[in-house]
Amino acid sequence: MMSKAKRSILYWIILAPLVVVILFPFAVMFVTAVRPRDELFVYPPTWGFSEFRWENFAEMWVKTNFGGALLNSLYVSITATSAALILSIPAAYAMSRYRFAGKGLYKNFLLMTQMMSPIVLVLGLFRLMMTLGLVNDLNSLVITYAAFNMAFTIWMLQSYFNSIPRDLEEAAWMDGASHLTSLIRIFLPLAVPAIVVTAIFTFINSWNEFVLALTMMRSSEDFTLPVQIYSQVAGRYQVEWHHVMAGTVLATVPVAILFSWLQRYLIRGMALGAVK
Amino acid sequence: MAQSGLSALCLLPVATAWTLETMAKKAHISIPMLMVLPSLLLATGIIGYPILDLAWTSMQEVSRFGKLQGFVGWENFAEVFGDPLFYASLWRTGIWTGAVVAGTLLISMPVAMILNDDFYGRGLARVLVMLPWSISLTMTAVVWRWALNGRSGLLNATLMQMGVINEPIEWLAEASTAFTVEILVGILVSIPFTTTILLGGLSSMPQDAYEAAVVDGATGWHQFRYITLPLMKPFINIAIVLNVIYVFNSLPIIWVMTEGGPANGTDILVTYLYKLAFRFGQLGKASAISLIMFGVLLVFTLLYVVLLSRNEADAAPEDEVKGHDE
Amino acid sequence: MTYAFRTSSAIMALGFGMFGLAPAALAQTVVDFTVAEYSSKTGPYFQEVASAFEAANPDIKINIQVVPWDTLLQRLTTDVAGGTAPDISIIGTRWLLDFADQGVAEPIDSYLTPEFKGTFIDTFMNPGIIDGKIMGLPVAASARAMMVNMDLYDAAGAAPPTTWDELYEASKKIAALPDTFAFGLQGKEIETDAYFYYSLWTHGGDILNADGTSGLNSPAAIESATLYKTMIDEGLTQPSPTNYNREDVFNLFKQGKVGTIFTFPMLVPQIKEEAPNLRYQILPFPEAGAKATYGVTDTLMMFADSDAKEAAWKFIEFAYGDANREKFDVGEGFLPVTKNVAALPYFNEDPDVAGFAAGLPYAKFAPVIANWEEIADVTVRTMQQIYLGEVTPEEGLAAAAAEVNKIRGL
Repeated sequence: MMSKAKRSILYWIILAPLVVVILFPFAVMFVTAVRPRDELFVYPPTWGFSEFRWENFAEMWVKTNFGGALLNSLYVSITATSAALILSIPAAYAMSRYRFAGKGLYKNFLLMTQMMSPIVLVLGLFRLMMTLGLVNDLNSLVITYAAFNMAFTIWMLQSYFNSIPRDLEEAAWMDGASHLTSLIRIFLPLAVPAIVVTAIFTFINSWNEFVLALTMMRSSEDFTLPVQIYSQVAGRYQVEWHHVMAGTVLATVPVAILFSWLQRYLIRGMALGAVK
Repeated sequence: MAQSGLSALCLLPVATAWTLETMAKKAHISIPMLMVLPSLLLATGIIGYPILDLAWTSMQEVSRFGKLQGFVGWENFAEVFGDPLFYASLWRTGIWTGAVVAGTLLISMPVAMILNDDFYGRGLARVLVMLPWSISLTMTAVVWRWALNGRSGLLNATLMQMGVINEPIEWLAEASTAFTVEILVGILVSIPFTTTILLGGLSSMPQDAYEAAVVDGATGWHQFRYITLPLMKPFINIAIVLNVIYVFNSLPIIWVMTEGGPANGTDILVTYLYKLAFRFGQLGKASAISLIMFGVLLVFTLLYVVLLSRNEADAAPEDEVKGHDE
Repeated sequence: MTYAFRTSSAIMALGFGMFGLAPAALAQTVVDFTVAEYSSKTGPYFQEVASAFEAANPDIKINIQVVPWDTLLQRLTTDVAGGTAPDISIIGTRWLLDFADQGVAEPIDSYLTPEFKGTFIDTFMNPGIIDGKIMGLPVAASARAMMVNMDLYDAAGAAPPTTWDELYEASKKIAALPDTFAFGLQGKEIETDAYFYYSLWTHGGDILNADGTSGLNSPAAIESATLYKTMIDEGLTQPSPTNYNREDVFNLFKQGKVGTIFTFPMLVPQIKEEAPNLRYQILPFPEAGAKATYGVTDTLMMFADSDAKEAAWKFIEFAYGDANREKFDVGEGFLPVTKNVAALPYFNEDPDVAGFAAGLPYAKFAPVIANWEEIADVTVRTMQQIYLGEVTPEEGLAAAAAEVNKIRGL
């Protein structure tokens, strides 16, 4: 066996190329975001630049309605995550604890919903939202994101729920508690780690979704962040790359920090729950 | 299982009828069904309905604004199958999906094994490897597009400053290099999710198996081949299935970086579909392609379900409480 | 679903913060106006016009939706499909026929008073006339021209060219300068086909023949494509044109690295701001048998399904006021579409604007035909294959012409 120190050095050497490639886009974002505008297109290209222009961020914020897009993204992601969880928890519980007609069918149906990419369905979805009167309404994204994530959330939660012993609930039933009470009082607190993991996953998916947001949101004040940033690049007579990158930095860093903090739960949840 | 998977296609009307039936006998509606019902309704409405709508549309002549103008049977499908760009995109979709998923697994497996082991700075390493997950695909692609800019891009800057190249490389000028770069970016963004799944699997693995192996004098490779790999199989399977589905359907990377160009040389089915539907207004043909894609994925998923049920047959029977409806 | 939302009331409170803009007054007519985003100035400009209009007409509310060009057609397509089309929209004139064919566009002859009609320059009005009916008003216009970097031409001892032969000879001299490209050739994304049409037209060819079939396999087309390919092979263009979109080529020019580009008026304000020391000159396209420029117009279209046509029209007349148009054209760098603005000193005395406007008498427009986007895509793909050397100009253009004819049902 190698000593821990030796092993650490070896592992970091192996990981180094990957880490460099992972950090590269972040470095690109940052270095471009703080560059003066006239140093964007220089030849030969270089990492260096003359001064840190932090004003780029402020300019970008005002020019691109970044704050509005940020709020939209937060609203959609948080609400969609909550909705997906509220619908998935009982379903996953039922799948984990009961035998009932159509269970296998339902499982396969969920797998199929997972297969559909929003882009494939976008026109049908648009017509649907139109009938529901939800076009140009952020709630149309909330509903679709919740629906598209449900397959994964139910599957994830169910596998995790399977690993929670039934004894506690059974004891509660003996004491005359209803199924609902035992679910809320006894079971859910035990399931918190799995719920957190599922929530992170759904949140990230919703936060990052692009195609549906592009199609459903008609006016610029309803744009979510990915659409907002894409619209700074696409079909413009001129792309303000330093503003675009300032936008991506601001859109990314908070999530990256949050994510770094929560990722341990993600792995633990996968370990406890998935693929049982 | 496989049979029920097939019949899942006709689940929608069945499910609705079945739901109504149970509603009618509302005194008898069971608790588990009640718990599943809201999620079923949402999924049926939001995902099931558009699928049916798509199937119906693909048999119609459609104006560029989505007005149905009459039944044409299989004509849209015939048009798709007579289109050389469709076959080229289909072929490229296969390469794209295969290369990204395979590349992702080949990198993620050793990375997950390292991250599962105890070493200095493991927490930091885990955070770093997971980092690309927190950026949206669209933004990643936007950043890479800028980084790959021929004359002003920072990738060329790095390579030139390191003295690797003298002249800037135009990464996206030719389909072959552009597609390769896109596959590499695809792999990069798939690593975190895959590593997470594999890491979950590794950390739940029984230690005694390894200890026994060490006693038997198994080398590192033998340990991996005969202990780790078999135990990890379900995790690898799920990673493959989910990645295939995500990668097959993924639009942003290719769309933002090259829009399927140059000369349609990086078009995969989704980018081709997007162009047909929204640039050229051929919604009938686009619906047909959507359904074909759906079919491809269905076959793949069914294969997976068959594999899964074969595995489950070996495993211990599921531990379940009897429902009240029986 | 609603109960699910209500339970997370804390989140809703956060969410509702941004829905604070409640619909303002009663009995208002709302006009939805989709605006194509030309630059970052476009949205604020139209917002300002709308506010001024609303102040004068409190019973009408103008709801502006700014959409990037790349997604505009998709947006309108899904809007119309979903029955939520706006009342008026800016569109590329090249799409107008598709809209008119499907009964989506409203003919505006009955709204257009002779007086109002008289304010427009006929050249720009004409592309919007389909089957004798006026389907839209020109809202933005530009003509294209050649722009040369005088420092590079002087350094190479070359004179700005008037013919393609001269351009080719001058390019050889400029390419010999260190770290310099003679000719900026666009090879990807929006308007890659236009860069080819410039050459096609000035070689005496056309996109469509007189009988409506594709003109892509004409001798003029093959000659102009071959010339571009030769220039690539001889190192007279920047390397790998297929990695350069319009903006990339213009950026090279701003950096003073390129001798000659073909461009639009909107580049002038950018150069003045970013590269004020660049000595450039605007000249007609080089000729090889024909004079031509590409006239591009965008159209303001009214939707047939609109239920606020009167109010929308009132707004249109307001927005076309001289002061508004002047601000728009100058701000975005467009050529004027109305006579009064065209008569302003700025548009006649400014050598840059005059340089672009000079081509208008012989300007060519993209043909108003169905499926234009698809046909343009065939052209772009073929040009890329030729630039990359995947096909010869003869093969590629013959195949492209056949494909275009098939799309057109000929």
